[in-house]
Amino acid sequence: MNKKIGVYVCECGPNIPERIDIDKVIEELSSMGEVKTVKRYSLLCSNDGKKFLKEDIEKEELTHVVVAACSPKEHENTFMKVCEEAGMNPYLFQMVNIREQCAWMIPDKEEATSKAIKYIKAGVHRVLFHDPLKQKELEINVDVLVIGGGISGIEASLSLAGPNRKIHLVEKTDSLGGMAGKLSQILPHQGSKIKLVKEKIEQVENNENIHVYTSSDVKEVRGFLGNFEAVVKSNQENKEGIEEEIKVGAVVLATGFEMFDLKENPVYGYGEIENVVSALEFEEMIHSEKIELKNGKKPKSVALVHCAGRKEKGYCSKVCCLYTLKFAHYLKDNLPDVDVKELYMDLCLPHKQDQSYFDQAKEKGVEFIRMDEVEKIKKSGDKIEVEYRNNDKADKVSVDMVVIAPAMVPSQDTSHLAELLNLPLDKSGFFKELHEMLDPVATPMEGVYITGCALGPRNIPESMTQSHATSGKILSSLIPGRKVKPEVKVSEIKEDLCTGCQTCLSVCFYGAISYDPFKGVSVVNEAICRGCGSCVGSCPSGAIRSKHFTYYQLYQEVMEALR
Amino acid sequence: MKNQNVLVIGSGVAGMEASLILADAGMKVHLVEKDSLIGGQTIKFEEVYPNMECATCMLAPKQQEVLQHENITLYLLSQVKKTEGSAGEFKVQIEKKARYVSLINCIGCGACYDPCPVSLDNEFEQGMSQKKAIAVACPGALPNVPAIDADNCLRLNGKKKGCNACEQACGFGAIDFTEKDETINLEVGAIIVATGFDQFDVSGLAQFGYGKHPNVYTAMEFERLYAQNGPTEGKLTLREERPIKSAGIIHCIGRKEKGYCSGVCCMYSMKFAHFIKDKAPEAEIHEFHTDLCIPGKSHQRFYEELSKKIDFIRYEDVEVKGNNGNLEIIYTHSNGKRDSIKSDMVILSPAMIPSKGTKDLAKVLGISQDSMGFFSTQDQNLSPIDSEKEGIFIIGCAEGPKDIPDSVSQAEAAAGRILSLLQ
Amino acid sequence: MEKKFKPNIVGFLCNWCSYAGADLAGSSKTDVDSSLSVIRVMCSSRVNSNLVLSALLWGSDGVLVAGCHPGDCHYEKGNYYARRRFALLKKIAEVLNLEPDRIQLSWISASEGKRYAEVVNKFAEDISKLGPNPLTSNPKV
Ligand SMILES: Cc1cc2nc3c(=O)[nH]c(=O)nc-3n(C[C@H](O)[C@H](O)[C@H](O)COP(=O)(O)OP(=O)(O)OC[C@H]3O[C@@H](n4cnc5c(N)ncnc54)[C@H](O)[C@@H]3O)c2cc1C
Ligand SMILES: Cc1cc2nc3c(=O)[nH]c(=O)nc-3n(C[C@H](O)[C@H](O)[C@H](O)COP(=O)(O)OP(=O)(O)OC[C@H]3O[C@@H](n4cnc5c(N)ncnc54)[C@H](O)[C@@H]3O)c2cc1C
Ligand code: SF4
Ligand code: SF4
Ligand code: SF4
Ligand code: FES
Repeated sequence: MNKKIGVYVCECGPNIPERIDIDKVIEELSSMGEVKTVKRYSLLCSNDGKKFLKEDIEKEELTHVVVAACSPKEHENTFMKVCEEAGMNPYLFQMVNIREQCAWMIPDKEEATSKAIKYIKAGVHRVLFHDPLKQKELEINVDVLVIGGGISGIEASLSLAGPNRKIHLVEKTDSLGGMAGKLSQILPHQGSKIKLVKEKIEQVENNENIHVYTSSDVKEVRGFLGNFEAVVKSNQENKEGIEEEIKVGAVVLATGFEMFDLKENPVYGYGEIENVVSALEFEEMIHSEKIELKNGKKPKSVALVHCAGRKEKGYCSKVCCLYTLKFAHYLKDNLPDVDVKELYMDLCLPHKQDQSYFDQAKEKGVEFIRMDEVEKIKKSGDKIEVEYRNNDKADKVSVDMVVIAPAMVPSQDTSHLAELLNLPLDKSGFFKELHEMLDPVATPMEGVYITGCALGPRNIPESMTQSHATSGKILSSLIPGRKVKPEVKVSEIKEDLCTGCQTCLSVCFYGAISYDPFKGVSVVNEAICRGCGSCVGSCPSGAIRSKHFTYYQLYQEVMEALR
Repeated sequence: MKNQNVLVIGSGVAGMEASLILADAGMKVHLVEKDSLIGGQTIKFEEVYPNMECATCMLAPKQQEVLQHENITLYLLSQVKKTEGSAGEFKVQIEKKARYVSLINCIGCGACYDPCPVSLDNEFEQGMSQKKAIAVACPGALPNVPAIDADNCLRLNGKKKGCNACEQACGFGAIDFTEKDETINLEVGAIIVATGFDQFDVSGLAQFGYGKHPNVYTAMEFERLYAQNGPTEGKLTLREERPIKSAGIIHCIGRKEKGYCSGVCCMYSMKFAHFIKDKAPEAEIHEFHTDLCIPGKSHQRFYEELSKKIDFIRYEDVEVKGNNGNLEIIYTHSNGKRDSIKSDMVILSPAMIPSKGTKDLAKVLGISQDSMGFFSTQDQNLSPIDSEKEGIFIIGCAEGPKDIPDSVSQAEAAAGRILSLLQ
Repeated sequence: MEKKFKPNIVGFLCNWCSYAGADLAGSSKTDVDSSLSVIRVMCSSRVNSNLVLSALLWGSDGVLVAGCHPGDCHYEKGNYYARRRFALLKKIAEVLNLEPDRIQLSWISASEGKRYAEVVNKFAEDISKLGPNPLTSNPKV
C-alpha cells in the first residue's frame, strides 16, 4: 500500500498562530516524503472542522493522518472517530500537542515554531510505524459465581439473579447466613429485624435462578471477564469429593471474616477465667435468653471490653463499639439492676444515627470508661477484675462477668483464594480493592469482585451496599447479548525472542501473562492486559512489544527530538 | 420499570460514579448539577487520605469520561424544580440557568477573564481569592469553560449596559449574552440523589475565634490553601505571608451541636498534619481530638506513623484566643489538666451537614429529612440507600457524612439496584 | 560571542499524571524550557532501559522520565518498577562514561503544573551546566 499522510494544523482560534508561525510549519512539512498534504484549519474540533477533516481525508485518499492541535487528552478520541468515519483505520492516526505543551509554554515565537515543527515531524515519522489495530469483541457468559453465603453473598446473589442470569452460590458450611445468621438481634436503629436474614435465605432457596452449593469449596478458577471456568467440590456427606465444573462470566468473593483469637493474648484471661466470654458467646446467650454466670446466677455487674486485638492487628474493626452498645442496651433492658461498664479506647460511631444510640445507652445508666489499654483481666474472689491504664494511670473495675469484643480478622481461606485467583492482599490480610477510593469492590482481575467483610470489617448495611455495588459493576459490564470489548493497545510477546524466564509474570499487576510450559514461552492474554507496558520494561530479552507504543514508534520520536 | 432514563442530581464523586455505571449499561442518564463545573467537593482537595493520592489525577479521568459519555446528558447551573409520578414514570422539571458562554465554542483559553472589570470573592476558593464576573472556579475546572455570574456582570445586571469586554476578547464567538434560562421537562424511571454535604458554619461558635483571628482556618479553606491549583498555588503561608512554624488542628467542631460524629474529620485532620509536615517539616503540630474515629483498615497505621511526628492531645474542651497577632489554644486535657499552647495557625475541622438545598429538594421530591437534616433512608430495612419513595435512591454524603470509598460504594449500589430491577 | 549551549533533552511522561501535569503547566501559561521534547507513554514503567540508552547513545544530553507519585500509578505499581530500573540505568550510564545526572526520574502529578515547569527548567539548567553529551563527539559508539 502506498502511504499517503495528511497533516492538519489546527489554529485553535488565535491560540496557536499567536505563538507559532503556521506558514513556516506548513512549508517545512510539505517537503517531507510521504506527506501528501499539509493544511491549516481555524478550529478543527468544531463540527465544521470535523466535517472538513472527514471530507479531506476522503478527497486526498489518505492512509495516515497527523493532527497538530491541543493535547491528546482533549481530542484524540474525537479525531480518531473522524478518521474511522472517513474509512480509515483509526489507529493510523497520531495527535501532536502543539498547544498546551508548545504554544502555551514557550514564549518565544521562533523557538515555539521550531519546537512545533519537531513535534509534528516526530508524529509523521511515528505514524508510519503504526499498525492498523482492531477492536476485538468477545462473546460472554453472563452467569455469576458467588463464593461465601453470608449476608454479603446472599444479597449479591439476590440482586444479580434474573431470568437471563444464573447464579452459583457456594458456601463452605452446611448453611447460609454467615455471621449475620448467628446474631441474636441486629442493632435496633437498623430495625433489629433479625428475621430479615431468615427471609433472605428463604428468598435465595426459592429463587430458581440461584443454585446453592452448601458444604462446598471452589477448587479452581481460570479465565477472564465474561469467560471464567470454575470447579466446585462438594464436601457433603453423600456427595463427598464430587466435583462440578461451571462456566461463569464473573466471580464475587464474599468470604467474610473471623474473630481474633483471644487466647493469643494472655492478658484477657480468655479460656482460663470463668465468666470471661467473647462477643459471639454473648450473642448466643442473648439468643437463648439466658444471661447467666457459670453458677446459674444472673450477673449483677458486667464489663464490656472493647478493642481486643486492635493494637495487635493494627486497625479498628468499626462495628465492635456498636454491637457492645447493643449488648449494653440489652442488659439494661432485661436485667434491670445490672451495672454495665463499657471500657473503650475510642468510641467509633461513624454513622449519623450511631451517636444517639450511644446517648440513649448513657441515659439508661451505662457507665463509659476511657482506657488506653487493658493491662490484665484476673480473678479476685467471686469477682473478675479488669485492670487498665488511662492517661498513664492504672485503674480497675470489678465485675461478675466480662464480655470481650475481639477484632475482626480475615477469614481462614483468604490467602488460599487470593493465590487461586491471583489477587493481592492488603497489610491486614484482607483482600485488597483495585482502587481503595474509586473502585472499592473491584480487583486487579477484571470480572472478579469482592464484597462485605472479605474486604475488611464493616456492618451489615455496609456489606449489603457493597453487594449491590458489585451487582452494579457486573450488570453494567455483562449484558446478555452484548460482547465485551477488551483494550486494544495491549502487549504481545514474540515467541522466538522469549527465553521463558518468566520475569514478566511477576511484574504484571493484572495477571495477564501466563507461562506455556510446552512451548517454553510466556503468553499475554489480550483480554486481561491493560497495556501499561510494565512487562515491556522488565523483559530482559526485549521480547515484549507494547502495541501503539512500540520501540520503533517511540524511537522515531526520540530521533526527531535529537535532530 | 421500563423507562431507561435515570435522573442523577449532583455531580460529586457519588453522582459521577452512579452516572457512569448506568451509562455504561446503556441507560440514558440525565445529570443535574447546580454549579458550573462537575466534581463536587473532592476536586478541591490536593490529596486524599489514606494513601495521599493526588485527587486531580484520580478524578480528572472520571470527569472527562462523564463529559464525553454519549449516554450522559449534563445539565449545569441547573436544579430540579418539580417532580410528579412514581417509580418507572417520574415526570421531572429542571430549571437551567444561562451560562452565557457556549460549551461548544469555548475552548477554555481564558482570554476573557482579564478584560472583565468586575472582581468578586471566589466562593470555590472559600473567598481566599478573587475572580472575575466571567471565570472558571479554579485552574483545571471541568468543563474548562467559564460562566458569567449574571448578578455581578455589569452588562447583565444593567449597571453598565454596553460592556462587552469579554466578548471582544473571545476569539471564538463563545460569549452569548442572549442566552436565556431554560425549563426542561424529562420523563425518567428512577432518581438518584447525590447532593453531598456542606461545612458546618463555625462562625457561630465564638470560642474558636473564626472570623476574628485571620489565621484561624476552616478545613475547606486549608484544603484550598494547600492545593497546587488553589489561591496560593499550594504555598503554605499564613494570611500575612509568614511561614508556618506551629499549627493546632481541632477536631469535632460542631459535633456536640449537631449530635453526631461525621466519621471522616479525624482522618482528614490527620491528613492536614501530614500536609504541613510535608511543606514545613520543622513545624510543630498539635492535633486536638476527642474520640479518634479511624475505622478504615489502613487508617490506624496512618495514625501510628503520624503520632511519631506530631503531638496528639485528647481534649475535654478547647478554645482559641488571640494574643498580639499570635494565637493561643487553651484546653482541658482528658486527664483534667488545664493547659495552653501558642500556635501560628489553627485549623478547625467542622461537622459535615446536609447541603444547602436539601430542604427544598426534599419537598420537590416528596421525601423527608431525618432528624439531622439529611435525606431519610430505610435503615430499618437495612437499605441505607432507599428513600421512602420507591425509585428514589440517596447516595454519598446526601445520605450522611462519609468518605469517598463509601460514597462510591453507595453510588455503585444505586446503579446495581436500578439495573437489578430492570433485569 | 560563542552561542550558548542549548541541550537536547528527551522526556518520557506517563499519560495519567505527568503528561496531564505538563498540559496544566501549558494551560496555566507557565514558561517551560524548550530544550525538552516530550514523548508520551502510558506508564513510566513502559520506559525500558533500551529507550533511555538509545536516546543517550544517539546524543541526547539528558533524559527525564516522569510518572505518577509513588502509590498513584494508574496501573498501581508501574512507577515502582520504573524506580527500580532507574538505579540500574544510572550504573549503566557510569559504565558508558556518562554523568549519571544526565538521567532523572521525577514524580509529577496531574495537578502539579507549576512543579512540572520547575522540574524541567531545573533539569535543563543542570544539563546545560554539564555541557554536551560526551558521546556525541564520538559518534562511533
Ligand atoms: C459479635 C458481632 C455482632 C455483630 N452485630 C452486628 C449488628 O448488630 N449489626 C450489624 O450491622 N452488624 C453486626 N456485626 C457485623 C456483621 O456480622 C457483618 O457485617 C456481616 O456478618 C458480614 O457479612 P459477610 O457476608 O460479609 O461475612 P460473613 O458473615 O463472615 O459470611 C461469610 C460466609 O462465607 C463463608 N465462607 C468463608 N470462606 C469460604 C470459602 N472458602 N468458600 C465458601 N464459603 C466460604 C462462611 O462460611 C460464611 O458463611 C456483628 C459482628 C459481630 C462479630
Ligand atoms: C475538609 C474535608 C476533607 C476531606 N478529605 C477526604 C479525604 O482525604 N478522603 C476521603 O475519602 N474523603 C474525604 N472527605 C470526604 C469527601 O469529601 C466526601 O466523601 C465526598 O465529597 C462525598 O461526595 P458526594 O458526591 O457525596 O458529595 P459532594 O462532593 O458534596 O458533591 C455533591 C454535588 O452535588 C451538587 N449539588 C448539591 N445540591 C444540589 C442540588 N440541589 N441540585 C443539583 N446539584 C446539587 C454540588 O454542587 C456537588 O457538585 C473530606 C471532607 C472534607 C469536608
Ligand atoms: S520476561 Fe521476556 S523473556 Fe522472560 S518470560 Fe517474559 S517475555 Fe519471555
Ligand atoms: S502491558 Fe501491563 S497489563 Fe499488559 S501484560 Fe504487560 S504488565 Fe500486564
Ligand atoms: S460583559 Fe463585562 S462585566 Fe459582564 S462578564 Fe463580560 S467583561 Fe465582565
Ligand atoms: S501511570 Fe503514571 S506512572 Fe504508571
